Amino acid sequence: MIHDSLIRERLVTGDKTAADVTRDITRPILNQPTKSWKIGFTLSLIFLGIFGISLFNTIWTGIGVWNINKTVMWGWDITNFVFWVGIGHAGTLISAVLLLFRQKWRMSINRSAEAMTIFAVVCAAMFPVFHMGRVWVGYWALPLPNAFGSLWVNFNSPLLWDVFAISTYFSVSLLFWYIGLIPDIATIRDKVKTKTAKFWYGFFSMGWTGSTRTWARYELISLILAGLSTPLVLSVHTIVSTDFATSIVPGWHTTIFPPYFVAGAIFSGFGMVATLLIVARKVMNYENYITIGHLEAMTKIIMVTGSIVGIAYLTEFFIAWYSGVEYEQYAFINRATGPYWWAYWSMMSCNLIAPQVFWFKWARTTPWFIFIMSIVVNVGMWFERFVIIVTSLHRDYLPSSWVMYSGSLTEIGLFLGTFGIFFTCFFLFAKYMPVINMAEVKTILRNRE
Amino acid sequence: MGILDKKLSLRNRSKMLVGVWEDEDKLVEATSALVHDGIHIHDIYTPYPVHGLERIIGARRSRLARVAFLCGLVGFTLMTTMIWYMYVLDWPVNVGNKPVRFTPSWIPVMFEGTVLCTAYGMGFIFFWRNRLLMGVKNDLLDERQTDDRMVIAIECVDGMNESDVLNTMKSNGAVELRELNHGVQTTI
Repeated sequence: MIHDSLIRERLVTGDKTAADVTRDITRPILNQPTKSWKIGFTLSLIFLGIFGISLFNTIWTGIGVWNINKTVMWGWDITNFVFWVGIGHAGTLISAVLLLFRQKWRMSINRSAEAMTIFAVVCAAMFPVFHMGRVWVGYWALPLPNAFGSLWVNFNSPLLWDVFAISTYFSVSLLFWYIGLIPDIATIRDKVKTKTAKFWYGFFSMGWTGSTRTWARYELISLILAGLSTPLVLSVHTIVSTDFATSIVPGWHTTIFPPYFVAGAIFSGFGMVATLLIVARKVMNYENYITIGHLEAMTKIIMVTGSIVGIAYLTEFFIAWYSGVEYEQYAFINRATGPYWWAYWSMMSCNLIAPQVFWFKWARTTPWFIFIMSIVVNVGMWFERFVIIVTSLHRDYLPSSWVMYSGSLTEIGLFLGTFGIFFTCFFLFAKYMPVINMAEVKTILRNRE
Repeated sequence: MGILDKKLSLRNRSKMLVGVWEDEDKLVEATSALVHDGIHIHDIYTPYPVHGLERIIGARRSRLARVAFLCGLVGFTLMTTMIWYMYVLDWPVNVGNKPVRFTPSWIPVMFEGTVLCTAYGMGFIFFWRNRLLMGVKNDLLDERQTDDRMVIAIECVDGMNESDVLNTMKSNGAVELRELNHGVQTTI
């Protein structure tokens, strides 16, 4: 016999029934868009426009409109690529890793985190694709016969591993997200009134009825996909880190990069999840579903991963000193005290020092404060990538090639524009799809032991 | 193709008894009672997964895990063969005079390919096995079965005492009892 728990805190508050869950979560879908949604969506479209203009300039004029040069050949573009890939990691972590660990608090937040993953990976992919310069031959990155104009791809190159890793990550995350959405799309299908809505939700719900056998298989496939996605999420950022670690550039040539990058990705991803969900819970009145308990759990992960990243920063310094390699030592001294000291110390303050505030209960349970901190985390993580890429490259082995680098207007526009892509997709998602997994949340209403 | 076979549709069944529940515990009790009485349950429809129901009605354990393993093997073989063909057989590239044969640098691509084939192979089999296809018409017995209601469907067979079955469902918390005849439902 199953009993209701007397000691465990409720994951969904407000004594909700299954019908309440359906009504609350489908409200934004069934009703006209709210004023706040319209304002947010319009702002996103403006940023999307900035992206369009910047991209047009990049393609029409050429990569020369970026400030990258022979010494700093990776600048804002790859910084932004790693930044967005990192953000994408929390979605799979919440869906997959927390599912394997049977963490039921994930159920209210996994849907939007998964959506975030997909949109973030799309934003990330923009940068390496357009950095190629001749984007119309981008398919050369795929393993195609020599007749297409190039030799077979180089399987020793981490850049090729990236092509496989990012595309696999995107595809598997999309499948995971879609399979999870089917039962909820069916619920909406049975609620909407208009013919067009009925057709489209009916089309994507694939005839779902909620049969017991289907549910059993659904749970099994979710578990196996979670088992697959867990090593996948670790592999993707490990591979991204090898883009740097397999080189001989001082500051990049370090074996600590894979775990350090994975921890950083989870850190920044949770930062973005917190940013989105704190706004969503307020605007969409989801306080009973995304509770203070959820926010507190996320802040704990932010604090732990922030500390791991912090230890990695310090370890890099120690190893540079301990290695006795003067180039390595200079790279790190230059990071902290050279011309880009402000970027380095922004990174240290935002990523290592600031999250330590979450040792205090008040900080972990005050939504407006967590919101500010989540932005601080993402600013810090952008600076981390900037520091790794630009400070390592701008002063290489050859002093005669030393340069300073700052992003051009087009590069800045592209970065801001990706926020336009991300938030436009997210607002559309929030309008037409349930941002909380209704079917899963209904299983935790009774707080069973 | 089972996925498009109209005979499997509930609308085309000759006669079925349908019970509707609003409480998951009572649904589980009713299912156990019906199975105990030797009634074959066609299926149960719930808005969220109710654990244990599939075991009570004697549904066979899913073999999706085996499918996943096989798809993984296919993916692994495909990727290994692809890299070997391109990198060793067709156009060996001399990188730092290192031998052109299996190296750890193949592993990331092999791994990603294996994961991709496993996920999508398993996904397609999952859709096929559950008759899930974009555009397929849904067979709903209750319009709230994807919201907050749970439904048991029992196919009437020769020798089945229908009033006993209805009584068992009623005494175990069914809020509504219906009869389904060629797609037409009548409340009992």
